Amino acid sequence: MNFDLSEEQQLIVDSVRRFVDDNYDLEKRKKYTSSTRGFGDDNWRTMAELGWLGLPFGEADGGFGGNQIDVMLVMEQFGRGLVVEPYLPSVVLGGGAVRRGGSAALRSTIVPAIIDGSAQLALATMEDQSRFDLNDVLTRAGDDGDHWTLSGSKTMVINGGSATHLVVSCRTAGAQYDEAGITLLLVDATASGVEHRSFATVDGLQAAEITFNNVQVPRDNTLGEPGNGYALLHDVMLDGILAICAEAVGAMEMLYKDTIEYTQQRVQFDHPLSDFQVLQHRMVEMFMEYEQCKSMLLRATMEVAASGSGATRTVHALKALVGKQAIFVGENAVQLHGGMGMTEELRIGHYFKRLLVIDAMFGNADHHLYRFAA
Amino acid sequence: MDIDLSPDDLAFQKAVETFLDDNAYKPGTDYFAWRLDWFAKAREKGGWDVPKWPTAFGGPGWSPTQHYIWQRATATRQTPMDLPFGPVMLAPMLMQYGTPEQQERFLPDIRARRVNWCQGYSEPGAGSDLANLKTRAELSADGSHYVVNGTKIWTTAAHMADWIFCLTRTSDTGRKQEGITFLLFPMKQAGVEVKPIITLGGAHTVNMVHITDVKVPVENRVGEEGKGWAVAKGLLQHERTGIAGISNSLVALERLKKRAASVTRPNGTLLDDPGFRTKIAELEIDLMATEYTELRSLAAASSGAAPGPESSILKLKGTDIQQRLQKLTMQAGGLFSAAWGGGKVGPSFAREGMSGYLSSRAYTIYGGASEVQKDVIAKNVLGIARSETRMNKRGDK
Repeated sequence: MNFDLSEEQQLIVDSVRRFVDDNYDLEKRKKYTSSTRGFGDDNWRTMAELGWLGLPFGEADGGFGGNQIDVMLVMEQFGRGLVVEPYLPSVVLGGGAVRRGGSAALRSTIVPAIIDGSAQLALATMEDQSRFDLNDVLTRAGDDGDHWTLSGSKTMVINGGSATHLVVSCRTAGAQYDEAGITLLLVDATASGVEHRSFATVDGLQAAEITFNNVQVPRDNTLGEPGNGYALLHDVMLDGILAICAEAVGAMEMLYKDTIEYTQQRVQFDHPLSDFQVLQHRMVEMFMEYEQCKSMLLRATMEVAASGSGATRTVHALKALVGKQAIFVGENAVQLHGGMGMTEELRIGHYFKRLLVIDAMFGNADHHLYRFAA
Repeated sequence: MDIDLSPDDLAFQKAVETFLDDNAYKPGTDYFAWRLDWFAKAREKGGWDVPKWPTAFGGPGWSPTQHYIWQRATATRQTPMDLPFGPVMLAPMLMQYGTPEQQERFLPDIRARRVNWCQGYSEPGAGSDLANLKTRAELSADGSHYVVNGTKIWTTAAHMADWIFCLTRTSDTGRKQEGITFLLFPMKQAGVEVKPIITLGGAHTVNMVHITDVKVPVENRVGEEGKGWAVAKGLLQHERTGIAGISNSLVALERLKKRAASVTRPNGTLLDDPGFRTKIAELEIDLMATEYTELRSLAAASSGAAPGPESSILKLKGTDIQQRLQKLTMQAGGLFSAAWGGGKVGPSFAREGMSGYLSSRAYTIYGGASEVQKDVIAKNVLGIARSETRMNKRGDK
């Protein structure tokens, strides 16, 4: 039993933390999110140069051979800084699908581009009717020998507007809700028949609605076995949930600490708010829930790193707990900041917004609670 | 004790519904002209434009049951936009503390909705601890006017207001609650600067108001100099009852059910989902109880007394219900709720999912934060010392 970071892991944490301190505050973040691509181009280059974009890829593919624990360390720091660069969609989600399901030939062309930052990926799974169900797929791909012909539409695709490549779930067999018959394809975002419409999300990031109209996708771009994409998607999703929960834990830490600081400074009734017992207890609860989420994050991440999808139930537990308690911490951070907590001026509101989106991503707390209980 | 409506009440209900239906807004027509006309017609009905005003000032003198009927009927039908600051909050204070001249001067414009008011209460250093306010009012040497300087914050609709009722400090001696003076002055004048504050939902409803060397004639003072705290507190009681919004929550609950039923799932809709259904049920049960708490409060107030400290219960319960309604609406929208309105993806209700939820977080902050409401109940209803008192003792050591 050992929760200590290795020397290498501590180096990752230190360097990401330094990056966040140097490049992130509310003003700078606003500048990034209001730029054309919705993030900092220089930041993205820095992440590539420091090797973070190659962290989870195999050494044979030019990566660092890291695992979910390494990604967790990065994402937790990103959560503390409210980092907006598309690390999650490109490296964890899209990259995770390519890493697991791409042929050696495909990996040799795309993975180096992901690692050097020139390629950006997005995972396109959600459809208008699918809510949180990855098996609910109407987008279809017809088998035309050397290529697939893809038609349908995806929605709420995070980073869909900036991505050079899209990992798309589609149906090559079976009916709407069947797990069998789902195939994952790597689609060139500039291919003929691909159209996207980008829009801002509540957390300052960007998502897109993407339509595919008879898009020809080379057969070599199939990720995993045709018809067996669901299992692959499931594993990618476990990584995705671990990553956003790590981000959430980082954000929760900032929220409870900012709240303590604010209540020590804010004087009402001739006392700092932090003197009032009812508020002290509330902050103790915020702190406890943060620590509990962190414990569950470590548990789920280490279990997945050790046994992959065998740890699915723990990941459901993690997402259910983090979704619920992140909102608890966010709501109370706003409440204890009073009117100031309601403004765009303080950073706590921005952490809160990101946590709301994190809860709604990949299935909210209720969804995972039912899966856990099932 | 019974809950049946009498034949008279049923007739009243019919009359109210007919009035509201007959005078509904017709799309494409001038909204503001309709608004003023609506209030004029409601007045002709016998004070329906000012339901809570006493008959001596032209109110309808309704029974609690009639108020209940009016609230339910107006919640399900479109009525003109109406901010509470003039007709609901300031007017009762003018009736209680104002001079006959002030009543004659201000009440008719409030009643006709010709003049919009805003509330100059909170300051950067005076939120929950409102009595800590620092905005200065200095009486001129000749005693004819005050000169006001200071900053107000969270002032709802200040950017649309013609006048402000403003708490100012005229003396620093004695308790903080002493030396506060209640003044009225126009917003559209040099020395009054309104700066928008954008809140988390992306909306502009509240403002910062900077007041610099604004001259206010003494005849614009409500109550005596230094005795404004009584006026301020009386007014807050009126603010806190209105804030519960039970009728609107009843309507919002039905809307939420319809919305959940429009989200299709493999085996039915989101409304069939046992987890979601249970949450809606829990909310509905709380709302049913709160509806009757409000009725009891209405009945108590019908004797003419101002709403008592039990109105604090309504604010706590009512705002909790409103926030849960917003939260469930956000959750019903799933990830679509994360798209700002311009995204135009998913069901249309989801487009206000997160922004509506975020705005709702203010409900437990404004009009006296929930923590302060509980202090009020502890002190005034339960008769136990509030933490503030203990704090002060500790500080005195």
